[in-house]
Amino acid sequence: MRILLVEDDPDLSRQLKLALGDAGYAVDHAADGEEGHFLGETEPYDAVVLDLGLPKMDGVSVLERWRRENVATPVLILTARDNWSQKVAGFDAGADDYLTKPFHTEELLARLRALVRRSAGHASPNLSCGGLRLDPRAARASVNGEPLRLTSLEYRLLHYMMLHQGRVISRTELVEHLYDQDFDRDSNTIEVFIGRVRKKIGPDRIETVRGLGYRIMPLEGESEG
Amino acid sequence: MTSRLRLPFQRLRRSSLVLRLVLLAGVWSIIMLVLAGFGLNHLFRQAAVQRFEAGLEESILSLQAETTVDDGQVYAPPMTDARAYRPFSGFYWQIAGVDAEGAVAPLIKSRSLWDSGLNTPPEVVARARRTPGVSVFFDTTDSLGKRLHAGAQLATVPGRTAPVLFMAAENRESIDQAARQFALVIVGALVALGGGLILAVYLQVRVGLAPLFGLRREVALVRRGKAERLVGEYPAELAPLAGELNALVAHNQDVVERQRTHVGNLAHALKTPLAVMLTEARQQPGELADVVERQAEAMRAHVEHQLRRARAAARAQTIGERTDVAQVLDELSITMERIFKEKGVTIDWRAPDDLCFRGERQDLQEVVGNILENAGIWCKRRVRITAEPLEADWLCVTVEDDGPGLPAERRGEVLKRGARLDESAPGSGLGLAIVDELARAYGGDVGLDDSDLGGLKVAVRLPRAET
Repeated sequence: MRILLVEDDPDLSRQLKLALGDAGYAVDHAADGEEGHFLGETEPYDAVVLDLGLPKMDGVSVLERWRRENVATPVLILTARDNWSQKVAGFDAGADDYLTKPFHTEELLARLRALVRRSAGHASPNLSCGGLRLDPRAARASVNGEPLRLTSLEYRLLHYMMLHQGRVISRTELVEHLYDQDFDRDSNTIEVFIGRVRKKIGPDRIETVRGLGYRIMPLEGESEG
Repeated sequence: MTSRLRLPFQRLRRSSLVLRLVLLAGVWSIIMLVLAGFGLNHLFRQAAVQRFEAGLEESILSLQAETTVDDGQVYAPPMTDARAYRPFSGFYWQIAGVDAEGAVAPLIKSRSLWDSGLNTPPEVVARARRTPGVSVFFDTTDSLGKRLHAGAQLATVPGRTAPVLFMAAENRESIDQAARQFALVIVGALVALGGGLILAVYLQVRVGLAPLFGLRREVALVRRGKAERLVGEYPAELAPLAGELNALVAHNQDVVERQRTHVGNLAHALKTPLAVMLTEARQQPGELADVVERQAEAMRAHVEHQLRRARAAARAQTIGERTDVAQVLDELSITMERIFKEKGVTIDWRAPDDLCFRGERQDLQEVVGNILENAGIWCKRRVRITAEPLEADWLCVTVEDDGPGLPAERRGEVLKRGARLDESAPGSGLGLAIVDELARAYGGDVGLDDSDLGGLKVAVRLPRAET
């Protein structure tokens, strides 16, 4: 297992390198954003520990560039700024987990283990519908290459509809496949979710078939990918 | 003395602009109208008197032309005016001799004078003697006490050496009555004109100041979070003020943002050394390490608490901020589901599209984020968020989970700073205390209750921006 550690504080870097080494990881260290970005882009790491406050290029920019360049390595963010706007920004940039400074090394190791285990799940084929793509392995979706931000219920809805694309799916069917046994089922909420998903993927991809349900279709002029 | 003089002006300065302008215009037009009224009245009276005196003059001249002297005896002509023959009719004439001392001795008089004569004050006689051939006019009364206007002229008559004083008088009631009527009409007209003027000034001021009232309304909208800045078009005099107000709003937001950045920088600067100390202490077990670890923990808690308080203090004072609730709930739900991916937490959020929080985005994120994190830690699988408008200018965000819940007697503790109900659960333990602090900073509050999902229900009341 090979880990990239991007952290500018020399003491913290030394400690983390030591702890990660003890835990059985091979560790590469970068002390600034540019070097970190270069290493992450060129070397096949199993996970990255990325500090957000970095010289030369800040962590969020590094992460955004990786994700744009399709570097899918799981990333754990270290940040001293523990307000929620930072966390949201980090996850939006494509982070997989975060840890607020100061932290216990044990917690970092535990999070890292979980991250590596999660990303090693078996691959399954991606689904696509025109410019709309969905990766069930990473539970991520994108429209024309732009990553979509979906809640799990929205994701489940989109996943189910894409699995059965071109077919009209009734509300009842959606309710049954979206919710667990113990969820309060209210078919009206489906409309809310459809509305929210439409806002994110574009209004015309999901068609309402009056009295029957919904259908997802590629847009006109889009080729089946 | 000066203070007594200035007091009414100071009071005026504080009172409304409309009142000031209307009062000023009102006082000025009243003064001008009163002056105009007196002037017109005077002119009218003068014209009337002149006409009256022309009549008297004519009577005197015809008297003079027809008067004859025969053997020292003065004979008067018959007058065409019948009033000269009716006693005390109000029309009188008299021809009198004047001696060297100025004493008047009537020679002959109209029948209307009956047994009395025309009162002739000595100064009138003196004036008449200075200007022979020119009529002198004066006011007098007849024997009934009626006011008369009279003319007297000294002239010589053929056949008599001593000059003779010709006099004619008439009741002046007619001029006085005409003047009174004219004054009445003029006062009425001027009062109407004054009222109209003041009304016009009032309307002009209201219309003229309308942009000012518009500005006030817009500023109120900004303060209540209905608008982010002033967008109205204002006349040249007000446009700079609107611009300055916008700059002030922007500056205010800027200051808060800068403060927050400073605080964030401080946090970053302190936390990395703390992390190093903690890790170092753990790697070298011993008594010193224990002390360092305990103290570093305490420092961390203090730093965190104080930083959050500083941030909270900087909030709730900004104006013109509004935050889309649905958007924040969506972002946070996605983030939270990723954080708790391992656990497989499902977050279901519901909020009206047009619901807006009157305050900063970061603060709403902080409030909901902390409650959500708490819910994520304790829930089994499900978290439900509902945001809805409340009465007046409030909204409520409710977060429920299906975890073990919290006994009623322990609910007070969680809102206290640093309270951590379960030391083994992750998290700083400050989460709900921060939520409480923030909600209070915005004038809202936090309530804890049982959820029908089985776990805890946290409801936060926050100010709502009007739509």
